[in-house]
Amino acid sequence: MSQVADQAYLNTRVSVMATRLFDPSLIERLAHLPLAALADEFDLAALLDEHITPAVRRRAAEQSLIQLLLSELLILTRPMNVNERALVLDWGRKYALYNLKTLIRGKLRELDRHEINDNLFELPEHIRLPDKELFGAENVLELLRRLEVGPQRQIARQAREVYEQQREPFALEAAIDQRYFIGLVHRVQVFGAPHQEWLRRLISAELDSIGLIWLLRFRFTYRLSPSETYYWLVPSMRVLTRERLLRLVDLDSFEQVLDALPEPLRTRCADCGSIAEAQPRLARHAIDEIRLVLARSPSGVARALAYLMLRETDLLGLFAAIQGRLLGFDDRIIQHALTQIEPGVTGS
Amino acid sequence: MWMPMSMLKHRLMKHIHSWMALLQWQPERMMPRIRSWLALLQPVLMMQRIRSWVSMLKPTPMKYIRLLVLTDDLPCASLALAETQCVHPDQRAPESEQLDTLPGRPFHDIHIQAQSRLDKIARLIHFAPPATIEPTRVIEPDELAQLNDWLGRIWDETSSYEENFRQLADQERLIDEQQAALENFSHLNIDLGMLRTKTRFLDIHVGLVPRENLRQLEGAVTLAGHILHVYMERGDNTHVVIVGATDAKEASLDSVLTAAAFQAIPIPEELNSEPAELQREFASRLDAIVEERTTLTETLRHWSEPYHARLREAQRTLMLAEPLVTLDNALRSTGHLAHLAGWVPARAIDSVRQRLDAALAGRYDLTVRDPLPEERPLVPTVPAKSRWLTPFSLLVNQYGIPAYGEVDPTPWFAVTFLLMFGMMFGDLGHGAVIVLAAVLARRKLPKFYLFGVFAGISSMGFGLLFGSVFGYEDILPALWMSPLNDPILMLKIALGWGIVFILVACLLGIYNRLMIGDRAGALFERHGLVNLLFYLAFLWGGYGLATGAGFGILPSLLAIGSLLALAAFQWRHLHAPTGEKALVVVIETLDTVIVYLSNTLSFLRVAAFSLNHVALALAVFTLADMMGQFGHVVTILLGNVFILVLEGGIVMIQVMRLQYYEGFSRYFSGTGHQFLPLRLRRRTAAS
Repeated sequence: MSQVADQAYLNTRVSVMATRLFDPSLIERLAHLPLAALADEFDLAALLDEHITPAVRRRAAEQSLIQLLLSELLILTRPMNVNERALVLDWGRKYALYNLKTLIRGKLRELDRHEINDNLFELPEHIRLPDKELFGAENVLELLRRLEVGPQRQIARQAREVYEQQREPFALEAAIDQRYFIGLVHRVQVFGAPHQEWLRRLISAELDSIGLIWLLRFRFTYRLSPSETYYWLVPSMRVLTRERLLRLVDLDSFEQVLDALPEPLRTRCADCGSIAEAQPRLARHAIDEIRLVLARSPSGVARALAYLMLRETDLLGLFAAIQGRLLGFDDRIIQHALTQIEPGVTGS
Repeated sequence: MWMPMSMLKHRLMKHIHSWMALLQWQPERMMPRIRSWLALLQPVLMMQRIRSWVSMLKPTPMKYIRLLVLTDDLPCASLALAETQCVHPDQRAPESEQLDTLPGRPFHDIHIQAQSRLDKIARLIHFAPPATIEPTRVIEPDELAQLNDWLGRIWDETSSYEENFRQLADQERLIDEQQAALENFSHLNIDLGMLRTKTRFLDIHVGLVPRENLRQLEGAVTLAGHILHVYMERGDNTHVVIVGATDAKEASLDSVLTAAAFQAIPIPEELNSEPAELQREFASRLDAIVEERTTLTETLRHWSEPYHARLREAQRTLMLAEPLVTLDNALRSTGHLAHLAGWVPARAIDSVRQRLDAALAGRYDLTVRDPLPEERPLVPTVPAKSRWLTPFSLLVNQYGIPAYGEVDPTPWFAVTFLLMFGMMFGDLGHGAVIVLAAVLARRKLPKFYLFGVFAGISSMGFGLLFGSVFGYEDILPALWMSPLNDPILMLKIALGWGIVFILVACLLGIYNRLMIGDRAGALFERHGLVNLLFYLAFLWGGYGLATGAGFGILPSLLAIGSLLALAAFQWRHLHAPTGEKALVVVIETLDTVIVYLSNTLSFLRVAAFSLNHVALALAVFTLADMMGQFGHVVTILLGNVFILVLEGGIVMIQVMRLQYYEGFSRYFSGTGHQFLPLRLRRRTAAS
């Protein structure tokens, strides 16, 4: 079967689904819509249920938006081959890792089962962790050891070794994030042309954005050494490559790092005075790259993943607007929150 | 189950005597058995047996129950219901909004944690499982909570042993890596003392790092002014030497090494001078670890022995508490009042009531009603209980569970399956091998081996009719004839059988629809009464054509009339534009004709395979005759194995295909769900 025919169904599916992406005017409007309009327009009736607390309503909205995203992910994986499906499912497993972090935090703070459970996402079978077994663990080490006998063994092993030696949650969560992104990079390596080129571009868009924020935060907020900062970063395959990261982490100030950035990140971040200022600009850069992949790539899997990334960003924006309304914030604050949303980074 | 040797011997001798009796014809011992077999043929007993088989076709009538009890009585009520083994919980939330809390949830959570703790403890402490769950008693929440706390304390202590075992395994692994590393160093012409000593200017780290962390670590140590050299790769680990200047950056390197799970390998003093001594040292350290592990195991055994009885009792307590845990989602409460709903076989209502009376002394309210028509899809189906039919029901369940109200197809499936399998694979010898194989596999396949036994017996029966033993047709005189003697007759029989099979399937389909009140469906839907009328007219006309009398006017009118009625019914129920409706109705009508014709002809395979069996045997004999004496025997043996495995497998698949496509698709929806009553687990997985 020819490449075109092979990808035809998936490409058509993605094109049909892409009509669901929010257009700029809707994103603009989100900050100004009242809760009732949000509930009505996005079919979230639970938001208006006065019998439940705002926290429960917030949680219900978040859960239903994530389920929507993951149900679309599962629909897109149906026509995919083994490698394509594995990559897309691995991307979606970030939600399982959010659950893992929630479990770890819960165990560290000795929260009871209900408190932890209330903060877990309900995930489809292909993506979720063996939550029931993990709940039985009495502490973090036991939890990670249990996770080591399953598909997350690489992440769990790395996290356990780090935790055994450092005994601090930062290193543990950094190890989980690092292993997740390294896993995605490895998945991309198995593809041939034209998929690999576009998938590299797509994953790199996320990695460049997230990597630079991590670099700035670890180096200048957490005051980690250059070598430790570098160790926790994941080199991208386009802009922030290994060599560039090695050079950037060795610089001594925020401004020096921004000045030494390669294009197009340098232009994007020009005149930024803080990480908070850089964050929306980097997010814009990532979104532009992802949109480009969705519009131009001949690779079905790259377009499918690009669609999911954009859809996730839209839904995060919607959730930010809902959350702002539930907390009683005014339009200006909600508008600001919408600009801070980065592709691939949820609030968990 | 363990059995004393004497009893085993006694049973074995009893079996041998009964077999000897069969072989040696001892009338005085055989007569009672023969009488009991003959008794089965008496009209009264026969009628009883037939009635019981027919009753299996009918679904067990079910009732919907709603039970209100005091929330405090829930442990007692759940145990009582579990003992009846008759209540299938209904998970739907009650209509009353006041019943909005889950009263069993705290109990459920504690139980889950306690069971998890006990399972973890049982991995290290091997106590015998409880022999019996009797006498049963109610487990109250306080008792469960206390047990959970105690198990938590025991697990705290047990987990320290587990950790010690893990540390020993890590030490063992490190020595193994160390041996490999030093073996590698011994070939180098350098002063290894340098690796051991920290100099004023040089900082050296020798050790191993997980392979997946290597590349990141390499970059990170470069930033710290060090260089990383890989000298060996082994399993998931890479052995490295990291060297750099001793300066202020060292502290940052330590945190990186920790993050990368770097494990230092100590360089012993003896490495340069006495390698043999070093090897002895390693061996003695490994011996010490083995000894330490033995001691630890022994200590654990001594420490845990006093707890065995209590752990056993804990397991029993958790098993007794399970009914309430299982009910968790089905329970709702409002303060002191708890609500439970479920499905109960109509015949068991009285026993449920009696058991609740005994357990709750009247402190309950039980209402019983018939299932509502809209609840039909939720009503569970009670499977027919018959040891003989169990293996066949497993195959039926592969297709689906009978919906409530549907005829359970298992008895019909069993009979027709065996008839078709026997006819397609009729051979006394091959059938006997299948029976023997099934009997030998009875321990591994306790629920399924009877299927093999019956299939083998059917094959043997038809083998006797066909006079075939391992393909030889001249050893045993055929009670009827070999299929190859009159292939046309075999094909006619298969065709006739197919027609009967399809007619019965259609009738069952019509009956099923009538049972659920779908009269229009029973009349006009696919495989309904009008469809059956068409098939009969089609057969009538077909018979006329075959006998040279022509299709006939009346059959033609009946066939066309019934097809038009089906088309009209479809037209009325289709919601589409006119053009699309016309297309669909024409295609569907044509499909009805084609499907019934092809389905009937499909049964010719029953005769085709009986002929195929003989033909395959002939092919084997022809090949064997071309060989020498030894080759002849080998070819016959291998040929029979080939026939048994390959043809036997294909025949099995073909019969299943006929059952699923020609049979089940006509009358069996398979959309039901199984009756899974609340019950007490009588034994643990270990026991």
